[in-house]
Amino acid sequence: MNQVVSTHNLSKQYNGKYCVRDLNLSVAKGEIFGFLGPNGAGKSTTLKMILGLTRPTKGFVTVFEKGFEENRGFILSQTGSLIESPSYYGHLTGLENMRVVQKLREVPDKNVMQALRIVRLEKQKDKKVSQYSLGMKQRLGIAMALMSFPKVLILDEPTNGLDPAGIGEIRELIKSLPQLHGMTVLLSSHLLSEIEQIATSVGIINEGEMLFQGSMSELKSKSQPTIKIKTRNNKLAQELLRINGFSSIQSGESLVFEDLLDDEVIKVNQSLVTSNIDVLRIEEHKKSLENIFLDLTGKEQSL
Amino acid sequence: MMRAISIEFFKFRHRHIYLMATLFLLIEVIFLFMGMSRSISMKPENANWEALIVMFASMNGLLFPILIAVSVSRICDMEHKGNTWKLLLTLSIKPGQVYAAKYIYACILILWVCIVQVLSIAAFGIVKDFEDPLPTFLLIRYFFGIVFTSLAIVALQQWVSLMKKNQVIALTLGMIGGFIGMTADLMPSGVSRIFIWSYYSGLSPVSLSYESEELDFIVRNLNALLPLMLIVIIAAISIYLAGSMHLSRKEV
Repeated sequence: MNQVVSTHNLSKQYNGKYCVRDLNLSVAKGEIFGFLGPNGAGKSTTLKMILGLTRPTKGFVTVFEKGFEENRGFILSQTGSLIESPSYYGHLTGLENMRVVQKLREVPDKNVMQALRIVRLEKQKDKKVSQYSLGMKQRLGIAMALMSFPKVLILDEPTNGLDPAGIGEIRELIKSLPQLHGMTVLLSSHLLSEIEQIATSVGIINEGEMLFQGSMSELKSKSQPTIKIKTRNNKLAQELLRINGFSSIQSGESLVFEDLLDDEVIKVNQSLVTSNIDVLRIEEHKKSLENIFLDLTGKEQSL
Repeated sequence: MMRAISIEFFKFRHRHIYLMATLFLLIEVIFLFMGMSRSISMKPENANWEALIVMFASMNGLLFPILIAVSVSRICDMEHKGNTWKLLLTLSIKPGQVYAAKYIYACILILWVCIVQVLSIAAFGIVKDFEDPLPTFLLIRYFFGIVFTSLAIVALQQWVSLMKKNQVIALTLGMIGGFIGMTADLMPSGVSRIFIWSYYSGLSPVSLSYESEELDFIVRNLNALLPLMLIVIIAAISIYLAGSMHLSRKEV
């Protein structure tokens, strides 16, 4: 199976209210797992429980198929993470911040320089972090997480605060990690477009519950196009087409067909025309990933 | 553990915390030396070690709680400011280790301040040519009195500073402590011993007697002070352990 990170009925209760409920998440080796959900869905809480920063109310976490509690030191030594806002010592320079992590991680100097180079901070490394912009702090946080080139990288909203060019860079960087360094990446985001471009697998969480988990292609297969046909007499048309073997459902003023090939569309049209039913419109509707996500989370408001 | 402590020292680059603490102490030292010099110039027999120690002991009751509150707050606040507590914990260091490293760092700082103070007292007496020889044993007792009391107060301040993000709470506690420390001698001893800050004057090897018309300096018996020392050491250990366990259980 090669599960790198998995959670088993993981739940967290705050003040009697479930923030995460019976979450079973599993991330396989070499995957880029996108953890997607609206704000306040429980993404950060889940990631914090995976890293042992928060204790679950119920359930447990395994990393490398080992229980977290008993193997905390080992697991954390193999894990790099960036949770919520970046952590830094403002009065120290970027390089000195990296040194603090280096001392704790016990990694050689070349890792520090390599990580700084990867996030393009090597020119600003001698500047105090309090003078960094939010994007630079975020990059520093990513560099700290990368420094030991861990087996698992957990990034909570890694592109927060970055400009579009920076987002693109970090996206390319994350995509390259499994191949270049054999990492498994678990990242969260509230932006579907973000996950869509990076992730190979995806988990969608809302109000603490996992709504969908699977590969990106599985999610995309939910966006099969539908054909909408509008005629002068929908009722008759539906009956006629049913006899010809095309089932449809009435939606508003149109008939909706699923999984129709182009040839079938032609056939449907021909049979309607020959039966003197006037065809007003034939439209193809593609359900965007955005809509699938909204359907799943039941949220129409901003994500 | 040594690694955790060395990281604390590394984190304090550019912070000048030793400079701050030393300057703070120098203000106390200069202030008291000026007062002492004036008193000696008016009455030459005032030039004695006991008077000097009593003055420092009661002044420490006011200044040390504040100095410790400020220093410990600076040591702890940097973790709040940059959200670094969670960073440290994900780097496989245990919360108890970070807590211990910070405590040891703060104690080394306060130890430095205590050493400088005792050396200053010795230097002043020698420069002013006090009649009695340097009372080494008395100064050692004085030194341990302030060190032990400080260990307990550092533990208390660290607990508050790490638990409460808002450092005003920790600093206010320090100021209240300073007030209690200064006025401790005026309270009935049963009451004052409840407060940890009162032990600066409480553990002073020399005390003032107000019984006669003149001020008398009484050198306290070491045996009489030992139980108090024991209390303060137990308090330091218990407060430290309580704080460390409380923080280890706290979720980020």
